[in-house]
Amino acid sequence: MLVAGHLYPDLLNLYGDRGNLIAFARRCTWRNIPVTVREIILGEPVDFRELDFLFIGGGSDREQGIMAEDLRRHRDNLGEAIEDGLVVLAICGGYQFLGHHYQTGTERVIPGLGLLDLYTQAGPRRLIGNCAVEVELDGRPVRITGFENHSGRTFLGRVQPLGRVLAGYGNNGTDGLEGVRFRNVFCSYLHGPLLPKNPRLTDHLVSLALKRVGRNPALAPLDDRLEERAGAAALARLGLG
Amino acid sequence: MDAKLMIAISSGKTAAQCSQLLGHHGSSLPGKVALRLYPGTLRALAARAERGVILVTGTNGKTTTNNMLARVLLEAGYRVICNREGANLISGVTTAFLRKATASGHLEFDWAVLEVDEASVPGVAAEVDPRMVVVTNFFRDQLDRYGELDKTVTLIDDALGRLPQTQLVLNADDPLVAQFGGLASPAVFFGLAPHARVVERRHHTRESRFCPLCGKELNYAFYHYSQLGLFRCPDCGFRRPEPEVEGLQARYLEDGVACTIRRGGRDYPLELPTQGFYNLYNALAAFAAGTLLGVEPERVIESLESYEPATGRLQRFRYRDKPVYLNLVKNPAGFNESLALLRTDGRRKDVFIAVNDNVADGRDISWLWDVDFEVLEELQRNVAGFVCSGLRGEEMAVRLKYAGVALQKIVAEPNLKEAVGRALDGPGVAAYFFATYTALWPVEKVLRSRVTPERGKQHAGSRPSIS
Ligand SMILES: [Zn+2]
Repeated sequence: MLVAGHLYPDLLNLYGDRGNLIAFARRCTWRNIPVTVREIILGEPVDFRELDFLFIGGGSDREQGIMAEDLRRHRDNLGEAIEDGLVVLAICGGYQFLGHHYQTGTERVIPGLGLLDLYTQAGPRRLIGNCAVEVELDGRPVRITGFENHSGRTFLGRVQPLGRVLAGYGNNGTDGLEGVRFRNVFCSYLHGPLLPKNPRLTDHLVSLALKRVGRNPALAPLDDRLEERAGAAALARLGLG
Repeated sequence: MDAKLMIAISSGKTAAQCSQLLGHHGSSLPGKVALRLYPGTLRALAARAERGVILVTGTNGKTTTNNMLARVLLEAGYRVICNREGANLISGVTTAFLRKATASGHLEFDWAVLEVDEASVPGVAAEVDPRMVVVTNFFRDQLDRYGELDKTVTLIDDALGRLPQTQLVLNADDPLVAQFGGLASPAVFFGLAPHARVVERRHHTRESRFCPLCGKELNYAFYHYSQLGLFRCPDCGFRRPEPEVEGLQARYLEDGVACTIRRGGRDYPLELPTQGFYNLYNALAAFAAGTLLGVEPERVIESLESYEPATGRLQRFRYRDKPVYLNLVKNPAGFNESLALLRTDGRRKDVFIAVNDNVADGRDISWLWDVDFEVLEELQRNVAGFVCSGLRGEEMAVRLKYAGVALQKIVAEPNLKEAVGRALDGPGVAAYFFATYTALWPVEKVLRSRVTPERGKQHAGSRPSIS
């Protein structure tokens, strides 16, 4: 049984992000891999080490603030789970919060969890639009697509990017990098939501989660023709056909 | 008359003719031209109202509410100016006045009834000095255009705060709207009493679960849909205001919805000839506004009961023997209500969904994942097939797949004409067409070439003059 956790689904679900949980769970179920989705509710006790997959989304400023306050109390527990191989997908606000800090303007610095070596700076205008990124999964290049909408510019320290921007802005609109990979943690600015649009990435996460619980990570193929057509259409819209 | 205004009016009208020649639909170009030449155009024209200007705003239902109210006033014998749907920014609103003005700038009317885009409320209100503002609801809509919902609501709150004389007509069931009752302006509330369809659980598309006044989580006795329901703040005491106009015993009819409207201790039965539960809210808003403006309640009911939906507001057609419905979808709350129609209609049907991602649709289509398509897992039993089209039709198809719709029931057909034909000729005995904003007219055009409008002609004479 895989346990997929959705962190604060009431707060952090700004751009259809719950689709990521839906995709993770469906692609398990379609292969008869037992999976359960656990909603992690604000203020309730949680042990992240009991999860196999954790999704962290983004929210509005106010909601983001509420989540930050609560999650800070679980920092060490989450850090241990990550060291232990917990598979994490963090998008946008969730991604930023795993880093050192978020700097708004010149004055204010909102501390992050500092679990990943990166920081974010507010930019003068929002980076909005369709986005395509080339990532490497199991040594093979895969093009993933999504929609980004963020004013923060993220800069990486000693961590690997998730991929290289083919179209759009990515982490900061300047260095051509998008997202982060660190152990089994995957971060990205791509909404869409990301996983339903990109089944190969989803399957990669499912495999990692299976490996973590000591099961065979090989996955039976599924009929992904609809997803492939949608991906092709999205790439075509970006002139990457 | 001011020479500058004269020139602005005539240039705007010339632009109107040109844009009609070019075949633009609902263009707001005339207003844009006139405002550029003379920024005071809207103020000057709106000031000519014999009785006043009414603004209708909110995320969902503003077109329908606006058209309903215009019809009520028109049938009560008033001369009414009303803007075209979609032309609801300041330029579109100005265009509505220009259309009715003569080339020499002459313009006479009693009421201007204007639907106004939420973000344009401050700008328009400052120019027209509205006698009344009707607010339907606030849902998440096209986030990439406006930023977050909170900001939109704050913007309108500020604008209304500068209009202490303006009569407000507010949805009591939506905490985001009901909070305006705390402003200095006189307010009348409309709302729905509990009925058979209320839900005790919160929907996935929660727009705002926190008290807009103090930030505490709101308690709900029940929900109508989304955040609309019987709410109360445990902390500061903010709660659903007692509505002066309340819909009781809401229920579905064969091909419509009904309720009893209670106002001032009297009951008025209402049968709306259009499906869609949310249309009751629109009717309640129009009833509250119409009666406040002095129209007899019985006459308001009469007008509402003969109301014809505008393009894509559950517009009805007939194809051979098959009833065909066309409905606009533009945000999760509205789409969920559209899916509720499939539950109400027990017939076997074909379903068509066109999703575009142009600017007017919202370029980010991830809102589709906030729609509860998961209800289709059960409802698909009565659906022969789903045809997905539009610029992002393939992604719509993916959404259905992950909602649990059987793969053999899903077709992605990017060619709109082809796709419409497929749904029309499907094996169902009814067909539902859902389209996002910029897909709506293309779909309607294809539909019109194949089907016959269900009603229409007999009421043509009494339609609000929005053409
Ligand atoms: Zn409160």
